[in-house]
This record gives sequence, C-alpha cells and structure tokens, in this order.
Amino acid sequence: MTALRETTEVVDPVPGADAPHLPQQPDLIQLLTPEGERVEHPDYSVDLSEDELRGLYRDLALVRRWDVEATALQRQGELGIWASLLGQEAAQVGAGRALRDGDMAFPTYREHGVAWTRGVDPLHVMGLFRGVDNGGWDPAATGFNLYTIVIGAQCLHATGYAMGVQRDGAESAVLAFLGDGATSQGEVNEAMIFAASFAAPVVFFCQNNQYAISVPLERQSRVPLYQRAAGFGFPGVRVDGNDVLAVLAVTRAALQAAREGQGPTFIEAFTYRMGAHTTSDDPTRYRLASELEEWKLRDPIARLKVYLSRSGLADQAFFDSVDADGDELAARIRSGTLELADPPGTSMFDHVYAEQTPELAAQRAEFEAYHASFEGGER
Amino acid sequence: MSTETLTIGKALNLGLRRAMEDDAKVVLMGEDIGKLGGVFRITDGLQKDFGDDRVVDTPLAEAGILGTAVGLAMRGYRPVCEIQFDGFVFPAYNQIVTQVAKIHARSKGTMAMPIVIRIPFGGGIGAVEHHSESPEAYFAHTAGLKVVAVSNPVDAYWGIQQAIAHPDPIVFLEPKRRYWEKAPVDTDATPGPLFASRVVRGGDDVTVLAYGPMVKTALQAAEAAAEEGRSLEVIDLRTVSPLDLDPVYESVRRTGRCVVVHEAPVTLGLGAEIAARVTETCFHSLEAPVLRVGGYDTPYPPSKLEEEYLPDLDRVLDAVDRSMGF
Amino acid sequence: MTSSATLRQFKLPDVGEGLTEGEILQWLVAVGDTVTVNQPLCEVETAKAAVELPSPYAGTVTELLFEAGTMVDVGTPIITIDTGGGPAAPAAPAAPAAPAASGEEAEPEAGLIGGPAPGGRTSVLVGYGPRTTEARRRPRRAEPAEPAGADYGPGPGDRPPLLATAPDAGTKPMRHGGLEVGRQAEAHALQGEAATADGAPHGRGRLRPLAKPPVRKYAKDLGVDLTTITGSGAGGVITRADVDAAVSGATARPGEMAIAAGGAEREQRIPIKGVRKHTAAAMVASAFTAPHVTEFLTVDVTRMMKLRTRLAARPELAGVKVSPLLFVAKALLLAARRHPMVNSSWDEAAQEIVVKDYVNLGIAAATPRGLVVPNIKDAGRLSLAELAEAIGRLTETARAGKTAPEDMSGGTITITNVGVFGVDTGTPILNPGESAILAFGAVREMPWVHRGGSGGGKAKVVPRQVTQLALSFDHRIIDGELGSRFLADVGAMLHDPGAALAF
Repeated sequence: MTALRETTEVVDPVPGADAPHLPQQPDLIQLLTPEGERVEHPDYSVDLSEDELRGLYRDLALVRRWDVEATALQRQGELGIWASLLGQEAAQVGAGRALRDGDMAFPTYREHGVAWTRGVDPLHVMGLFRGVDNGGWDPAATGFNLYTIVIGAQCLHATGYAMGVQRDGAESAVLAFLGDGATSQGEVNEAMIFAASFAAPVVFFCQNNQYAISVPLERQSRVPLYQRAAGFGFPGVRVDGNDVLAVLAVTRAALQAAREGQGPTFIEAFTYRMGAHTTSDDPTRYRLASELEEWKLRDPIARLKVYLSRSGLADQAFFDSVDADGDELAARIRSGTLELADPPGTSMFDHVYAEQTPELAAQRAEFEAYHASFEGGER
Repeated sequence: MSTETLTIGKALNLGLRRAMEDDAKVVLMGEDIGKLGGVFRITDGLQKDFGDDRVVDTPLAEAGILGTAVGLAMRGYRPVCEIQFDGFVFPAYNQIVTQVAKIHARSKGTMAMPIVIRIPFGGGIGAVEHHSESPEAYFAHTAGLKVVAVSNPVDAYWGIQQAIAHPDPIVFLEPKRRYWEKAPVDTDATPGPLFASRVVRGGDDVTVLAYGPMVKTALQAAEAAAEEGRSLEVIDLRTVSPLDLDPVYESVRRTGRCVVVHEAPVTLGLGAEIAARVTETCFHSLEAPVLRVGGYDTPYPPSKLEEEYLPDLDRVLDAVDRSMGF
Repeated sequence: MTSSATLRQFKLPDVGEGLTEGEILQWLVAVGDTVTVNQPLCEVETAKAAVELPSPYAGTVTELLFEAGTMVDVGTPIITIDTGGGPAAPAAPAAPAAPAASGEEAEPEAGLIGGPAPGGRTSVLVGYGPRTTEARRRPRRAEPAEPAGADYGPGPGDRPPLLATAPDAGTKPMRHGGLEVGRQAEAHALQGEAATADGAPHGRGRLRPLAKPPVRKYAKDLGVDLTTITGSGAGGVITRADVDAAVSGATARPGEMAIAAGGAEREQRIPIKGVRKHTAAAMVASAFTAPHVTEFLTVDVTRMMKLRTRLAARPELAGVKVSPLLFVAKALLLAARRHPMVNSSWDEAAQEIVVKDYVNLGIAAATPRGLVVPNIKDAGRLSLAELAEAIGRLTETARAGKTAPEDMSGGTITITNVGVFGVDTGTPILNPGESAILAFGAVREMPWVHRGGSGGGKAKVVPRQVTQLALSFDHRIIDGELGSRFLADVGAMLHDPGAALAF
C-alpha cells in the first residue's frame, strides 16, 4: 500500500527536469506544462470558465480516488482483477469531456475516466471486475459502449457505428479508444482503412501509455504512433496525455472535424501507465523504478492543482471539498461493491438470444431442476 | 399466386431485394457485391437500385466487414454481410465469435445483433484451395449464433428474408454448387418457420438426414434405393443451429435406422451431435447405430480428387446398406 | 519439511508372448513390508501360466493398487514402493501462504502472478485465480423441490417430475440430454400422438417396438419377433426377461416378471478369461486357418508293453518313468527325422514353409487352469532317459501350474495323450504354428488277429494290447501320402520296437 500512497499525493514538480521519454515540441501539443504553467499552441486552444476548470480538477481527483479504492478492493479479494488507469486520468477525462450528447464512445477496458464523464455509475464498472456481469450500464443511454476485452476489436465497431451515423445524417461523432499495443492488431488497421475509405465520422484516440503489459512501444511500432495515420490518409496528432487542457482541445477539434464530414483523425495521447497492467502484474519485471520516478514529475493532477492554486482559481477549501467528495465516493464504491449480489445461475441462459431457442429453454429448465435437487435449494 | 421458376441464386437475389424494399435499415456489405453484383451474381442489380450506401463494396478485409457490421447494428441497422467464399470467413472469425455472438448476452439484451452472414459454402465446383469448405460446425458450436443452410430455391427465397428479419445473428449458408438449380417458387405464399426441418421424401426403412448441397444427393440416393426395393425417408434439416430434430425422432421411431450426410469432415461434424441426440432420445427404437457419411478428415483435396472426397449417392447407399445390415 | 520418500511404481510387465493382460492371483507382500530387489511381490496369471513377479526395487511397500483377483492391463502400475529409505510421507496439501517446501526459489509474493490470493486462490493476471475444490458431493434433497413456474406433463408414475416446458408460446421444447423426456416422448408416441408436419410426406410404417440394442440382438439371435411381445419395462420397453418369457412360451404380462421355464436362475455365467480365453483363441486360429485332415491307425502294442518292463529295469532308466507315452514320443521323434516336413510350419506372411531341423516336442497337458502345451526343446537329441526325465518334469510342472512361458512357445510338433482319460482316439486340432499333432489313445486289451511265430504261423484271434493313433496334419504342407507314411512309421515302431533301429 505504501507505493500507492506515494503516487496519490500531489508532489511539487521539479522545474526544468529533463525527462528522457518526453518528446520535444512542436510535435507534442501542450497547453499546461508539468510545472503547472499555461502555454499557448498555434493550432489549439481552450476557452474554459473557472467552474469548468475546477470541474476538470474534480473529475481527475475523483477518478483517481475511485481507481485507488478499486485497487485496494481487489487486493482484499472483492474484485477478481482491476485494470488501473493510474496516471492516465487527464487523457481520459480530457477526451471524455470533449464528447457531446449524441456522440458515442467505444472504450477498451481501462477507460473508467471516460465512463465517469459519460455518467456511468462506477458500481456498474465494478460489477464487471467483480465478475457479476460483463458491464451493467446501457450503452445507448450513456453513449459509452460496454468494455471490449479483445484488443482493438472495438475500433471496427466504432467505425461501423460512425458509418451508421453517416447514413442517419446525424451530427454525432464517434470516439474510438485504443492503446499503443492495439495499433499492431490487424483489425485496428482495418478500422482505419474503412474509416478513411468511407470518411466516417470517427476519431481514434490512442493512449500511448508506453507498455502493452510488459512489451514496450518500440516493439509495436518503428515510427511514432501519430505518424501512422498518414499511411491511412488522415491526420495524426500527438498530445501530452497528462495535460487535460490539451487533450480536451485536440479531441474537441478532431470530433468537430469528423462531425463536419472531414473524416477521421488519429490522436496519440502520450502518457504513462503508472500502475500495473492489471492487479497481479509485476511491472518491476520489465521497467525501471527510475522511469516511474520521472513520470511522477509529470503527474496530470499535480500540474492542474498547481495552476489552479497559483492563478487563484481554487483555494484550499476547494481542494478539501474535493478530497471529501473523494472519500465519500470511495466509501460508496466500497460498500456498493461488497453488496453486489451474485447473479442467479439461470441468468446465463437468458440473453444468449433475442429470440430464445427451444433447446436453450429446455437446458435452462434442466439447470433449474438440477440445482433444486440439492439441499440448500436453487442457487 | 405468383409462381416463377427460379434458380437458387436468383431466388436469393429476389429475396434480398424484397428485404431491402421492406426495411430501409437493411444494408448489404461485401467484396465486389455492388458494381460487379457479386462473384456469383447473387446481388446483381441491387446497388443500381438501392445506392452505394445500402449496397457497399467494402475494402478487402473480412474482419473489417464484420466489425463494422457490429457497429452498424449497434446504430440500428440490419447488416447483411457477404463472405465471398467459405474459406475466407476465417479472418472474420474473431469478430463473429468474440463479438457478434456475444454482444447480446454481454449487454444483457440491450444491444441486439441482427446481422446475417451470407456464405456460399461446400464443394463440387472444381475449385482451387479454400473455395469448397464446410465450416458450419465452427459456428454451430458457438453460443449466440444461429446457423441455417438452404437447399432449394423456395427455402432460399423465403429463408434470406426471414433471416434478415430475425433479431439474432444468423450464419446463412448457401449451397454454391446448387446455385443454378431451378424450381418453381410461389413468391406470394406464406412460408413455414425458418428454424424447422422438413421431411422431403417419405419412407419406411432408413431415415436419411441432410442439409444444404447434400439434400439433392440424399434424394437421388433415395430414388436409386427405391429401384432396389428400399424405402428411404429423407429429411432436410434446414437449420443447423438450433437443430429441429422432432421430425427426425418421429421418423426414427418408425424406421429404427438413421444416416446423416454432410460434406464437412465426419469427425466432430454435425453428424456427431445429431447421432448423440438421436441415440439418446430414440435409444429403444434403434435397430442400428446412427451412421454418418461425410468428407474425410483431410484438408479439402485438389479438384481432381474432389469427387472421391465428397459424399455421393454410392457413399450414402453404402451407409444405408450398413445400417440395414445390423 | 524435507522428505526422503521416493515413490516408485512397478508396472505389470509383459511376461511373455505379447500378452495384454494378466490377473493378480495373490499378493505375496503387504503394505508396510520391507522388500528387497527380486523378492517376489505377487503371483500373476497370464493366459498361459502363473508367474511370480520379482521386485525391481528395494524399499517399503506403500500401496497395493489392485486387489487379488483383478484383471490388469500390461503397463498398468500395480504397486507403489518407497525406495527413499524412510516411511513415505503423505504430501502436505498446498496452503497458499505456506513457505517454499524445499529451499527452491521463493514463492511469488501475495498478489503477484503465482502468489497467494485471497480465498485460498492463486493469483493470475486476469481474474480471481484458481482454487482447490473439495472432492465431495453436495448433499441431495430427500425429495426434489419444484422449480418455480414448472409445468408438469403427465410423468410416468412416481418418477421425478419432468422439466418445465419452454416459456415462449408456440415452440415445443425438445430437450436433448435426458432420459426422462425421451421416455415421455416414447410414451406419447406409443399412444399415437406422433407429430407430423403439415402436409409433409412421411412413411406409413408403424412405430418400432421399443427395446435396448442388446435386447434387440438377443431376440434376433433367438428368432423372437419383438412386435409380438408386450414390453414390461417403463414406457412399454421390452426387456431381456420379456424375450426369455416369449421363448419359453409363458405369457408375459406387463408389470410382472415372467415365470420362465428357463431363466437366469438356472444358468451359471463364467467369465471368459485367462488360460481358457487364450486357448480358445489359439484353437480358433488354428482350426480355421490350416485345413485339417486326420488319419487313424490301430496298432498292436503288446511287444512294446512287454519291452517297457524290461527297459525300466535297465540302469540308464533308473529313476525315470518308462511310460507308453515315452515310447510314442521316441517313435515320433525317429519318424520325424525321416519325414522332416511334418516338423514344419506355414509362414503366411513370408509365403514360405519353414522346415525345422530341431524338434521341440509338445506334450498336451491338462492342468487345473486348463489345457496347456509345454514343449521339450530339441527333444530329438535327447537320450531315452533324458526324454523320460523331460517328460516327467514337464508334466509335473504343468500340473502345478508353474510352466514357464518360454516352455510354451516354439513348439514344432505335439502329442496329445487322450489315453490317460480312457479314450480311444480323437481328431486333435493343430497347435498353431505346427503342422502335425498325434493323439495317442488308451492301451486296451482287445481281440486281435495274431499270427504266431513272427507272423508266419497260423492266424488266431487272441487278446492283445491295442491302441489307436490319430494324426491330424495341415493339408497345405502335408499330403495324404506323407501323413500316411509318417503315421505308419510311428505305428511300426510301436508295434515292433526293434524296427526303431532302422530309423
């Protein structure tokens, strides 16, 4: 638990620290430096109210608090696994807040930060990792698809959905999430081919968190990921994934371009997976502690806190209230998770088809009778 | 009463047309289906009339076809995907098995996948590798999918429409070697249910089961058997998953003998599942074990050996003889 | 905790002749006994003999894996021996939090892959991880509870209720995987409720009578028409007893056991196994491969019997039994030297007849376990005394059931002494791999036409010692002339033992 506590504290960044992994400008779009300073970019800008800025901070802090609590719950055996988004909060919140009503997001299995922005109840996400279902939320109602565990499969779904939006003549856009490893999957490449060929209103948002479990980026691609888009014939941009303002700006612009019929964009959000791939992964086997330390200096939440403090947009009372909200959220998630009931055994049979087959109905009845034959009755 | 004599291919074409007229959400997707009208001309003329938004010439990417179909289905469309040849369904197998088949269950019913995957299947066309496969077992073994195999123009005409209208994903197998065979089709009739098998020839001695291209083979075998004084009852299974075996059980309780025929390799083919069920349900009526006639457990051979590989009339009657010999 | 237990298992070996199974007759050691290398562990009967299995290990017996009287396949472990010196320590059940057992690399940390996880599980990347389940059955209810919403069809009597029907209207549930529904459907079918598709053609045959495949075959073998029987089994199924009843003519009433004239109570069923099984297979192989011809010769052996007494008194033959069989054996050996083709075998695979220069003389012996045919290797080279000794030893060993496998293989020609049972003659079946077998009948006092004075005197009918020889041979190799000459030669030597000097 000690290691986790360190990363949740806000650490004052060391000014001017040179981080070997961080690529240089102007390729990396940035509006808020790791030190908490606002900078300008010729092509991208945000115009946010004070409430909106404080709201972004609250989003980041609460998402992290959820993530920390979930990790603890897994260690205690209340979840089978947890896929931590630690370090990627800004990439996800920034992208999620760029979506409008009517837009549709296609996550992988780590986008709890995006789920948060779409109004998905965290307990519905917890249910998946606890093993009571495969995702308890309604995609149509939330504009957030269920998690897809097969790497990259959701990119084609996103492209197909966007092709449907085109046929509807709607002004919606689609945001497809993927990781750096997924860019190697054939189906992801097919999704980009289809998206380009049909100018589908889909944006591919790639969180390059530097690792696919243990395999580093260099094994997935010999060119920076954002440059791959050129090969498919649409624009690719790289944004500092730990800069929520830049992510918001870039994603908004890309979604708008899609809406206006300009086709897809590939956004590479350059970030880092501070935690493990999933909870029983051991990152010490494949990366150096020094790397982790360097990325702590680029923490997404710290830089925003510094900015808000220094520019007088938020005071200690605000930060305390956010902490309190975080504690309350964590408590609700904890108690709610522990109360998640195992589903009845018959539920396995109930949604296999929209139109049940006689065979399966009979098998379901057989299942019921079998369990009823034991002491302790039906399960 | 409007009856025309149609080939299976033409029956499919008309059925697709009618489905597209009935529902604006029906979208056809596949390689070469638009301008070219499909390599078997099944979709001939449809793009001209319905436009390239509804009859889509896709890039050469089967996974892409199925994956985008999933997205379209999520958006409320009814995609009808064509896989150009059976042997090329495998790149799409991931999307079919991990996504198309599971999304309804994964979403607890909030997302339906009314996708039809049309596949010309089976051999007998003297083709090069990969164009003569019978992959139905891979799909029948996957929960969440349904699998249908038509054998004649009437079932083709109605079956494609029913499949498109059905809320669940259906792998729709078309017997490519029979595409040009004709029969009268009453296009105003009321069709029977899609997921039902049908007795197509009555008999007393042995129950012969077949689907797709083997139905004609089974009927020809029955003709030949009749000349030898043997009476075969032939049942067209029509639906591979779910199986409708009620008529089969009723038949076996009269004949006591059953032979299953398919082009797919015998081992772990549909015949194995059917044999298990018939044995379990009709145990006390069986005079002989359920026998299976199918392809050999080898990759489909080069075309010069095709006729030795595929079950034919003689192989079916051989099995009938063996059954009678018990 | 360290353990010095090294458990070794001894697998049932192939004790000869490529046999595939053997019966453990008795264990000669018990669990806990200390055994030495080569110490006999058990007695195993194969198709041909009882064999003691010597231990390949020294140590302590920890487990006898089969009970005496069990048939075991060759290659199956039959005994576990701890060769580690100490008594075998039972393996401790793996507690997930236990430290590493023997100082090898440390177990992964809790929460990392391979390490302990909550709930007694082991961590994996993608979920809770596996846990060890208990090997115990869940206790069943005394009476099955009704599942909610179940709709019972007419079930057969007091059996458990049938499954619920499908909830959706219009579709009939056809469940696979259950005997109950199958029976139910059969019962319906028998009542004439067969489902028919509208307008669909189907055959006009009646429903088949119901019977399990083995019963069906049983009836067919007995020539019983099942359609004439009312089945007494559930759902009208015809049982084996029903068929028996039909055979015996008694009227079978449903629900009653038929009171049959025959029936299982007056039959004994003996499993076909062991020596009998092997012998039967050999006989079938022989009888239906080689065309058998049998020739008979009746011989006056009075002179041989008189010689027997005189020979037995000779010092060379002191201590051995000089039996009529010994003479027959010697005569056969001498005759075989003159007619080597009788000592050959038909090699189908190589398409060759193998004529052997050595005679491995088989003597058929009745043992408590059945017929065995041990042979005397290279009998042609033995002196009469050695031959007598060999025959004696062979007979004694066979009777004790201890014939070694190598003694039962490689025979080239056989004598079967049916005379000891008081039988005159027979038509023996060749031992597989051989082409001739001689049956030697009882020596009886019979009226015989005898010319005194070395055959030159007047013919009279007098009582003489007479015996019958029957020679069966493989007609592919031995034709009538050869067989006859050989038999005649043997007979000649038995009639006039001096003739043997000419061979």
